[in-house]
Amino acid sequence: MTTNLHVEQPSSSAAVPVLNRRMAMVLLGATVLVGGLAGVIRLLVGMGSTTALTDAYTWGIWIAFDFTLIAFAGAGFTMAGLVHVLHREQYHDAVRPAILAGLAGYVSVLLLLVLDLGRPDRFYNFIIFWNVHSPLFEISFCVLLYTTVLILEVAPFLLERLHLPVTDRLLRLLRGAMPVIAVVGVTLSSLHQSTLGALYLNMPHRLHPLWYTPILPLLFFVSSIMAGLSLATLTYMGSTRILGLPAKREIVTGLPRLAAWVGVFYLALKLGDLLVSGEIALLWSAGAYSFWWWLEVGVGLMIPIALLLIPSLRRRPWVSLAAPMLLLFGVMMNRFNATMFGQILPPGVTYSPSLIEWLSTIGIIGAGVMAWLLGVRFLAIFDSKGSHHG
Amino acid sequence: MTSQQALSRRGFLKAAGTGAAAVTATCVLAGPTSSALASGPLSDNGWGMLIDVTRCTGCDSCALACKEANGRSNPTVAPSALSSDAYTFIDVRGSAGSAEPLAVKRQCMHCQHPACVSACTVGALTKSADGPVVYDSKKCIGCRYCQYACPFGVPTYDWNNPLGLIHKCQMCVERLAEGEVPACVSSCPAGALRFGRRSDLLVQAHARISSNPGRYVDQVYGEFEAGGTSVLYLAGVPFSQLGLPELGDQTISHYAETVMKKTPVVAASVAALATGLYWLTKRRDLHLSETQVTLPQEDRHDH
Repeated sequence: MTTNLHVEQPSSSAAVPVLNRRMAMVLLGATVLVGGLAGVIRLLVGMGSTTALTDAYTWGIWIAFDFTLIAFAGAGFTMAGLVHVLHREQYHDAVRPAILAGLAGYVSVLLLLVLDLGRPDRFYNFIIFWNVHSPLFEISFCVLLYTTVLILEVAPFLLERLHLPVTDRLLRLLRGAMPVIAVVGVTLSSLHQSTLGALYLNMPHRLHPLWYTPILPLLFFVSSIMAGLSLATLTYMGSTRILGLPAKREIVTGLPRLAAWVGVFYLALKLGDLLVSGEIALLWSAGAYSFWWWLEVGVGLMIPIALLLIPSLRRRPWVSLAAPMLLLFGVMMNRFNATMFGQILPPGVTYSPSLIEWLSTIGIIGAGVMAWLLGVRFLAIFDSKGSHHG
Repeated sequence: MTSQQALSRRGFLKAAGTGAAAVTATCVLAGPTSSALASGPLSDNGWGMLIDVTRCTGCDSCALACKEANGRSNPTVAPSALSSDAYTFIDVRGSAGSAEPLAVKRQCMHCQHPACVSACTVGALTKSADGPVVYDSKKCIGCRYCQYACPFGVPTYDWNNPLGLIHKCQMCVERLAEGEVPACVSSCPAGALRFGRRSDLLVQAHARISSNPGRYVDQVYGEFEAGGTSVLYLAGVPFSQLGLPELGDQTISHYAETVMKKTPVVAASVAALATGLYWLTKRRDLHLSETQVTLPQEDRHDH
């Protein structure tokens, strides 16, 4: 049912031809191998000669992509919250592709963090030595616990495929616990998604006022919901396309519109904050910082909101694809601005990521994408409650 | 169909709004409360160091003595920056007014409320009651958050070691325990460094300013900066010309700590809210499905 597609028919748009899929897998596999090698070299040699990081620029693309991935992987808690907690059953079919992407995202984050830690051999130390005042301690702990939650949420996708007496019993147990698991997942996510913003509160001297504000935790939390809804749209569209199933219009148009309304709230918070603090003039007077802000908010927030809320535009089919991608770009730019472009640097300090940093980052993200693609193919990504069987 | 969509959106926005409200509350609460922040004990009686920039000749004795005391490599080469091999150095700065360049000794400021201590993931950095901000290398995971939290750019990482650690001045705690002063202080031939209780040093610093009119700017750097530091500076030119950052009196970790203290409240609120909304939305769904089931049955009775 999956390998009988003919490559000679490029006009059929119902499913991606098998050869292209294989090529994609080979390409992804190559990035994973090369990236893995780059990571091993960094671990053996140390960061001095393998990265462009310095004492004055100690966090680079590893951290920027980490925080981007955590926001994107917010798709897991957003969709679990929407459907399993708030019972918005019309979005049911979009939950599993999103939760799978959430798990792939968090595992990628953990791998990137191992490369970034100066003492990767002691990664578990935060479990032993606590500092409850540290945002990074709270984030580490929540990410660890939430990854466990994601594993429990993804486990049924596999167990449903096995049909063994043991796995069926386990499945019943997990299904009974699912409401509790969902609530715990939403709670842990609300905590660490907002604390990622609190992380930057300890850098009032380093982060430009266009981004530094006491409401950073709120901004990070709201934008993670926006990113989560956007990625859930794309993972739903992608997984239905891969499996050759029809995508439900209600989901494909409904989720981006929810994201747009969250985006309106987010934009109001961002602009309101700059108005209240009297720093609104920085939008055009802060040189490169102004440029990065407009790239983030203009391209990655205002344009997709307009696409999704202006009636004559939102009915166009490409908007369901383009608008979520733009919103994700905006959230990515926000995390990059907070970590890199919005940082006030001592004179003479520059950072241009090394080849090893790029290759390891691409390889680890590639591994995440590959794991998601394989999961969609081989796991029960549309469960029995979904309407795809009829 | 459309009404159901509208309903769902309203429900979702309501839920998202309440979730956001919980986070908002913590942000708002982060505002005014400034006292009793948790980053270490605050004592003016702790040890401190007074650096008189007008007396410093830039001879590098302190930097070399520091290297030797801490067992750093190349103990005869004067450092030009802080690094894992140099916990203090003389920053030579050309001054606008005079022909002679200014020599500014730089090292850990041993803040009264250190942001590095507040930020450290594993609590490897602590502010001791006696003044020094000390580092426990056995706990450190090398996340380097301390480097960004520190407004003085003090903690350095050992980049060329695959298992590198953070390095910074520890105020020679071992020497202090034996009743000695830090190595840099005892090596200074110019009398530019003075070691003592922070409160005493502040009195002496202000006395020097008032008894030497014209020699100093009327400010002791570190008395209030970032909530106060154990290392204090006296200088004849504005401190911004010395490369010392202009910081307010607010502690760096103020907002982060106030938000972090609300973590249990936020966790409990979100969990309670999610549980409540779960039951609320579930009951409504049950109610809807019951009416949907009973209606056709009534139809059948009519037939």
